[in-house]
Formats: sequence, C-alpha cells, structure tokens
Amino acid sequence: MAPLLTVNDVKLTIDGRPILKGVNLVVNEGEIHAVLGPNGAGKSTLASLIMGINDLKEPDSGEIIFQDKLVNGLDITERAKLGITLAWQEPARFEGITVEEYLKLSGRNNPELDVVECLELVGLDCSYLNRFVDDTLSGGERKRVELASVLAMRPKLAVLDEPDSGIDFASMEDIANMIKTMRDRGTTVLMITHREEIAEIADRATLMCDGKVVQTGNPKDVGQKFKTMCVKCEVRNPELVGGE
Amino acid sequence: MATKNVLDTVAKKFIQIGLPKDLFERNRFNLLVDRNKIIVRYPAPGVRSEVIETPTGVKTKVYVEPGTKLEEPVTLCFGAAETTEVQTTEGEIVVGEGADVKFQVYGAMAEGIKLKHKNKLKVRVEKNARFEFLDLHYNGEDTFVELDTETDAYIGENAYFRSVFKQTRGRAGKVRIVLKAQVDKKGVAVFETKMIGKKDDEIYVEDVIHLNGEESRGISKSRIIAVDETKATFVGETYGNAPRCRGHIDCSEVIRGKDVTVKAVPVVVVNDETAKVTHEAAIGSIDKKQLETLMARGLTEDEAVDVIVQGMLR
Ligand SMILES: Nc1ncnc2c1ncn2[C@@H]1O[C@H](COP(=O)(O)OP(=O)(O)OP(=O)(O)O)[C@@H](O)[C@H]1O
Ligand SMILES: [Mg+2]
Repeated sequence: MAPLLTVNDVKLTIDGRPILKGVNLVVNEGEIHAVLGPNGAGKSTLASLIMGINDLKEPDSGEIIFQDKLVNGLDITERAKLGITLAWQEPARFEGITVEEYLKLSGRNNPELDVVECLELVGLDCSYLNRFVDDTLSGGERKRVELASVLAMRPKLAVLDEPDSGIDFASMEDIANMIKTMRDRGTTVLMITHREEIAEIADRATLMCDGKVVQTGNPKDVGQKFKTMCVKCEVRNPELVGGE
Repeated sequence: MATKNVLDTVAKKFIQIGLPKDLFERNRFNLLVDRNKIIVRYPAPGVRSEVIETPTGVKTKVYVEPGTKLEEPVTLCFGAAETTEVQTTEGEIVVGEGADVKFQVYGAMAEGIKLKHKNKLKVRVEKNARFEFLDLHYNGEDTFVELDTETDAYIGENAYFRSVFKQTRGRAGKVRIVLKAQVDKKGVAVFETKMIGKKDDEIYVEDVIHLNGEESRGISKSRIIAVDETKATFVGETYGNAPRCRGHIDCSEVIRGKDVTVKAVPVVVVNDETAKVTHEAAIGSIDKKQLETLMARGLTEDEAVDVIVQGMLR
C-alpha cells in the first residue's frame, strides 16, 4: 500500500519544553492506523500539527507530507481541501446551527451526501436533524455528530482524536463498526485511542511515549507493549522507552 | 388605503433588502405602513385594532380578545421606502386573559435611505396569556437609520411574554433599544436581542426586568457581533423583588476587528432572600475551536465566521 501521510522526524518545542522529539510515522492509504500512548505523550499535539490547528502550522523541524505534498505551513482550509480532516477529542459546540446544517456544510463537496445515513451510521436517528449542535446535546451525542460530520465530508484522511472517549462501553462496538465503515468508504483513518477494543480494529498501530514513537506494528503487539511497558513507566523511565 | 401600484413599489423595495417575497405574494400582512401611510390593513380574527396616521408616522392600539388563540402570527410591517426625516410609531398592545398569540413585526428600511425612527410601545399581557413579539429588522447595506425604541411591558399573573429584536439584514446604524418589564406572580419575561454592527454603527441595548411577583421569571439574552469600528453597549438589569423569583442575564458580544469598542454591564439586584438572579457575560473574538472545526471541513475562514455569526444571531 502506498503511504498517504508521512511524518518525518518531526520535532516541536512549546515554551522551551520539547513535546515532540523526532516523530516518524507512515499512514498507508486505506488503513486504519491506531495511535496509542499514555497521557501527555504528544498524540493530540501530533494530530494538531497534521491538521494545522491550535496555532501549530508547522513543526520546528521535520516534514509532514500528504500524498507527496509538503503540508508544513499550509492553513487549515488548504489541508482540508487536500482531503484531511480532524475530529477533536472535545468537539466544539455551535449556537444556532442544526445537526442537519452542520452535516450539509461538512459534506458540501460530497456528491453522494446522505445526511440521514450519516446519522444512522453513528447510531442517531433522523430526529436529531433539527437539534442544535450546542450544549443541549449530551457529550456522547456530540461526539457521534462529530463522527457523522466526518462521514458526511468523506475525506481522504480522517484524524480522530479519541473517538471513543465519552461513549458508553456498550456502544463501543458501534463505534468500531462506524470507523470500519469510514474506511470502507475510502477514508484512511488515523485514530488516537486509549481503548484496546478500539485499537484492535486497526490494521496497524503506533505507540507513542514521551514525544517519540516507540513502536509501529500490528495492534496486538503494540497493545501488548503498551501494557507491559508504559503502564509501568509512570515515571517515564527513559531506559524502558529505550530513549536518550 | 393605497392602490396596488403603491403596494407593488413598496414590495419591490422591501424584497430587495431581504423581506420574504412570500409575505407579499400571499398577502400575509395585517398591517403594512410606509412612513406615515397605511398601505395594507387586514384584520386578524380575535384582534381589534385602531390605526391612525399622524404627520410623522402612525399610532396603533391593539386589543387581543381574551382566550384568542391564533396558529398564524399577526404580521405587521413598519417601514420606509423613501428617505424621510423622522418616522414615529406609537403603539399599545393588550393581550387579553388566556389569549395565545404571536406578532411578527418587520422593520424595513429600503436600500440607501436615511431616517430617524422613534418607537414607543406599551404592552400588557393579562393573566394566563402568552404573547410572543418578534421584531425583525431589515436594512439595506447603504441605509442609515437612527433607531430609538422603547418598550414597556407588564406581564400579569402566570402570563408569558417573549420579545425578540433581531437585526436580520444590512447595517444596524445608530440604535438605542430599551426594554422594560414588570413581571407579576409566576409570570415570565424573555428578552432576546441579536444584532450585528458594522463600520461605524453604534448599538446600545438596555434590558430592565423587575421580578415583582412570587416565582416570576426573567431572562435577558443578548448576542451582539461588533465588526470594524462598531461601538456596542449592553446593559442588563434584573431586579429580584419577590420570593422565589428567578432571573438570568446572558450576554455575549463577539468582536471582530481591532477598532471595535464593546461594553457589557450586567446589574443584578436582589431584595428577597429567596430570590435568585444570575448573570454571564462574555466578550471576545470568535471561538477558535468553532472556527477551526469548520475550516477543517473545508470552509474558508470568512465562510466559517459567517456560519458562526449567523448561528449566534438566529
Ligand atoms: N499549548 C501548550 N502549551 C504548553 N504545553 C502544551 C501545550 N500543548 C500541549 N502541551 C503539553 O504537551 C504534552 C503533550 O500533550 P498532548 O495533548 O499532545 O498529549 P496526549 O498524548 O494527547 O495526551 P492525552 O492522552 O492526555 O490526550 C503535554 O505534556 C502537554 O501538557
Ligand atoms: Mg490527547
């Protein structure tokens, strides 16, 4: 499979503190790629750099390449137009915008857009179409709407930051199925997760710790490594992560 | 009343600044006034009214008979198709006991005109009645209006009054909006103001709610978007004067541009130990996460701002 996204030796320092210390990652076209790692490992920061959000338009050094194009320095809209999108760990709330309008905006360049289907795929029925995407939606509902909006857009690459957080345990399988549907419809998925049952559906997985990639491989092995290594490494023992 | 020709000319000018075409095509208006001329007048069932032309505008008295319930809103338009120095509108609305009605009022100031509009309105919502007053303003982008409007409302026992002021299209101009309510036992007053100011527009909004009756409630909500060099001030005052009354002031002003001047003044006064009045006021630029979310779906920054602002003003 051809690489869709390549992260090449990306380094980033925030307020004098190194957050990413030379991250290397390849996401192949058509795969579901999971990113695992403890809190503070730099997963969301990497996601931000890929999308160009949070004033993180480019790393201090290194390259982010999407389909042979260097995206360092591009603004968010330009990246979205290339086919990248991101779903936030905590999605924004919008006053006065309905779910239907939000999905239609997200999918305005998708000729096959079917907003009802998008909702159904995330386990919400069409009664949600007239609901506002504001704080009257519960946390879990808002997360589902966010995933529906990614389905509506049908990008080439979706970066999902903890799509499973705030979703009840019983619905985990729905979320897993929804991410697979996303992939089956031509979207490559890079998803950050803390849950094993979600990581398991991935084709490949990467473990990040302390601003670095520790291992990339099949999700079972990477999950195992996460459990045996990182859980013990609460103090971020550099020897355990094999660094410095 | 005016001829069809006059109506057509007015319709054309008002549709141009965004009034729904449908209103004219389907003869929706119960009252349509251009400056000081009555163009359309058509009674609504259960609503008695008296309208007189004055040298500078119109005076109206409306009485909604007790128990009247209307599915369709009573539709009024006070506008100006041409420049005139002043337009004065004075009104009195009494909503009888147990009635349930909605007034949709269009303020239409045609493209390119200049005028001062003064409005004074007295509202009385009797016991157990429900009254919604939607005041929708349409101005042209090159229209300049100095608007000075004052509403005084009394909300009776267990009655409900909601007043919405919306600057829907065009320049706001120089605007002073003052809304006052006296709320009786278990009555509810809801004031909402949604406006956008551009260039050197000046916006002043003052909501004053006196919660005088036991368990009365008041909500004062404003959304003001200030662009370019706009000056905007919101003053929200709520007085909790009675046992177990509840009031809330929710004011959010969004600034876009470095030359705007924006002020929010919430005043909360409580004279009873079981009363509770709260407020939240936020002034800031457009929420970054909202902006970035829409941009991540492919909207440009300007498109995203537009969507967010229209949502807030909805
Ligand atoms: N804007 C910022 N200013 C200062 N520190 C930051 C900033 N953004 C991120 N960090 C720090 O960078 C580190 C990595 O944060 P990041 O959010 O990427 O972690 P994460 O792997 O996503 O963690 P989690 O699993 O908790 O979501 C953290 O220590 C965080 O405090
Ligand atoms: Mg994170």
